[in-house]
Amino acid sequence: MTNFHPDLELITEYAAGSLPLAQGACVSIHVNQCRRCQRIAGQLTDLGASLFEALQPVPVGDAQLDAVLARLDDEKPLEYSHRKSSPSSTPAILQRLMRGDFSDLNWRNIGSTLRISYLKTGDPDHEFALYHIRAGGRIPEHTHRGTEMTLILEGGFSDANGSYHKGDFLIRRPGDVHAPTALQSEDCICLAVLDAPLRFTDWKFRWMNPFLKLRTA
Amino acid sequence: MQTVTDTIDDEGKPLIDADGKRIDEWSECLTLIAQKQDRAAFTRLFRHFAPLMKAFALSGSTLSANHADELVQEVMLKVWQKAGAFNAEKAAASTWIYTIARNCRTDLYRRLQKFDTPLSAEDVSDSQDSEEAFLVLHQKRSRERIRGLIKELPNDQAQILAKVYMEGKTHSEVSGELDLPLGTVKSRVRLALQKLQIQLER
Repeated sequence: MTNFHPDLELITEYAAGSLPLAQGACVSIHVNQCRRCQRIAGQLTDLGASLFEALQPVPVGDAQLDAVLARLDDEKPLEYSHRKSSPSSTPAILQRLMRGDFSDLNWRNIGSTLRISYLKTGDPDHEFALYHIRAGGRIPEHTHRGTEMTLILEGGFSDANGSYHKGDFLIRRPGDVHAPTALQSEDCICLAVLDAPLRFTDWKFRWMNPFLKLRTA
Repeated sequence: MQTVTDTIDDEGKPLIDADGKRIDEWSECLTLIAQKQDRAAFTRLFRHFAPLMKAFALSGSTLSANHADELVQEVMLKVWQKAGAFNAEKAAASTWIYTIARNCRTDLYRRLQKFDTPLSAEDVSDSQDSEEAFLVLHQKRSRERIRGLIKELPNDQAQILAKVYMEGKTHSEVSGELDLPLGTVKSRVRLALQKLQIQLER
């Protein structure tokens, strides 16, 4: 199904836990839906464990061990019933960030085809937003000043480079220009994570550029 | 010299590691903790893993010694509490423990930076479940292979992996710190992964 994935280097940063929170959350939603990426992330986590085991140990005194042993009584082992699979199709991470459903969010209309809802992740350097593009609707041509990760949650869109569907993960680098258009058949909802604001190149929308600020936190 | 494949029997079970220790000793400890709240098993795990956790906490050097000790305690308590979720059929004990240490360290960094977030590092890590038996076997073999091949990586590649994994840095942070172009950092990562035979399937 999914044709576009994060590249190997990005999954490495993800498995190492070194990605900034908002980017890590976006990659995580894709990985948890994608067998292929999950498998590779598993291997890359094993790599982390091998590096961990090869560290030069730093002595830890018995006082520390005693302190931990003394606390075990207060910390009863947790009971685990194996795997509750959530009935909802909304990724767990988004459920934690939203109250209710996509329809319950606060949406800001940008023209007649696009609306945006900003979610608060706590990452001070990244905007984490849901884009809702009406079926067949086009986002004005824009360029990226920074890196943009996009994950398609529902529907799909196309641009000059190809067409993308539910589950696809895309990354745009500074200077990439595009004008995505939602598929005709259904509305498109995608998650976009930005580290710098967009800039419209379409002359009808350029006046907005000075007002586009990164909405974080 | 023992080769990597020598440590795997026909069912893909690791038998012994290079020091002659049974690799699954740590899985047994976790199982004992889960089933019997066995403190002796916990103590054995602590003596082996706590010094590694402390080294891990101090890599990257932004945590003080006090915070490193705090992290060791927190991770070991989590190991105790969560042992019931460990599945020896599917995961390696060391990977399971490393993952807890990695997540706790990330959360500690974020607490110290006063992040106000509803997401914990665990929420954002992959769930690692629902693997079919042959994939579990496949991953076991790959784990043993990685363990063996990692020692043969050239220094410049090993150094970058250490910064990304043990110091928790992004490729672009590593590029800034080592004064190398980002493309060089990424290609070293890619070369290292090739040597370790970690690759995306078509």
